[in-house]
Amino acid sequence: MTIRTESLVHRYGDSVAVDGVSLAIDDSEFVVLAGANGSGKTTLVRHFNGLVEPDAGEVSVNGRSVPENLVAARTAVGMVFQDPRDQFVAATVGADVAFGPENLGLPRPEIDRRVSDALDAVNMAGRDDERMDELSGGEQERVAIAGALAMRPDHLVLDEPFTGLDAPARDAVVDRLESLHGAGTSVVVVTHDVRDLLAVADRVVVLSSGRVVVDETPDAAVEQLEAHDVRAPRRC
Amino acid sequence: MLTYRPGDSLAHRLDPRTKLLVQAAFAVAAFAHTTPRGLAVFTVLTAGFLAAGRVSPVDSLRGFAPALPFVVLAPLVSVVTVSPPGVDLGAAVDPALASYRVLLVLLVSAVYLRTTPVRDSRAAVERLVPGKAGRFFGVGVALVFRFFPVLLADLRRVREASAARLGDQRSLRDRIRIVGTAGVRRAFARSDRLALALRARCFAWNPTLPDLRFSRRDYPVLAFGLLLVASVFV
Repeated sequence: MTIRTESLVHRYGDSVAVDGVSLAIDDSEFVVLAGANGSGKTTLVRHFNGLVEPDAGEVSVNGRSVPENLVAARTAVGMVFQDPRDQFVAATVGADVAFGPENLGLPRPEIDRRVSDALDAVNMAGRDDERMDELSGGEQERVAIAGALAMRPDHLVLDEPFTGLDAPARDAVVDRLESLHGAGTSVVVVTHDVRDLLAVADRVVVLSSGRVVVDETPDAAVEQLEAHDVRAPRRC
Repeated sequence: MLTYRPGDSLAHRLDPRTKLLVQAAFAVAAFAHTTPRGLAVFTVLTAGFLAAGRVSPVDSLRGFAPALPFVVLAPLVSVVTVSPPGVDLGAAVDPALASYRVLLVLLVSAVYLRTTPVRDSRAAVERLVPGKAGRFFGVGVALVFRFFPVLLADLRRVREASAARLGDQRSLRDRIRIVGTAGVRRAFARSDRLALALRARCFAWNPTLPDLRFSRRDYPVLAFGLLLVASVFV
């Protein structure tokens, strides 16, 4: 159960966003993917569920090539976008979380069960009928996570999940991620600010100009973060 | 989406009013000269305009991709005859020439879009159309040029996020409904935020616009535009 990239290259015109990245993320790992703006983090994770195609190299999920097995990749890798509003396709919480399972063609009782479990996992149980546009930013983020969880992914990828959230909402999201990780889901968080995550992560990968420049445990990585424009915790 | 790109080509340095007028003259002349020879001349002129703006024809066509199926379909549809059922290739000639003409006009308009900042377009429209109508058109042009790319980007993100949860496995009709509904919802939300932001920055119907001045290099181009218009009557 691994996300694996091998010499992955992605270009936008003449600019190289991902430059020969080889990386393996095992199941049950909690990985922080950090880097400055424009370092290629978002482009890299978009390859994990086939939202973009590589210009060179390979990407596979659970041993199967992503471009050749899109449905399997998108089922195995749940994606939460930087702006959760981008991924809302329905007007109410329950209908939106059900979107993914419906696309899998599951029977209605199973869809209802998954929606209920996913909302429970993000502390939003019983709020199926609430309107999306009436939720706070933190609640929208948690519904977006629930939408991905309802696919029962092996890996959950979150792109800048703390953007615009206040401290309590950030803590709530970190708590949920920690418990999901504890339950066996591998978590990949893309961020340029690792302060909330060092205590819970197993591994920190830093990208710079599309290349992996740090791949260490949090303790070993912390000294190298500032050099790559990643905000690290203040030292006592 | 074709938008302004800074540069120092001849087209960049022309007054936007010159570019608007010559563009209009080109369209009028292209619709008047419908023979293959006439269109061959306009093809050369289009190549000249593209070179003057250092604009790639391939990029421009890519920017007009949503319109291209209609341009191609017109001649294709016209070859089909209903009574008696069959195919009449000769019937495709006129629609094909008409479609090609549209293509040339689109390419010339791409040169304008690539070489003219939005504020200059607004100023040009307001100076060419006097009074409240000009201000209204000017604001409309500015908003469309700025807002439309944002809406397209929103639609792209919605479509991508839907695909991430296998929304792309649904029927075409369902996909259009899902992306369309979410897109309209986001467009309204964005419009609200844009209106608020404009009010917060003291939006005015008559702001200070860029100074526009015809320079020596505009006059030969304007004269060329007049020639194009005159050619309609020859």
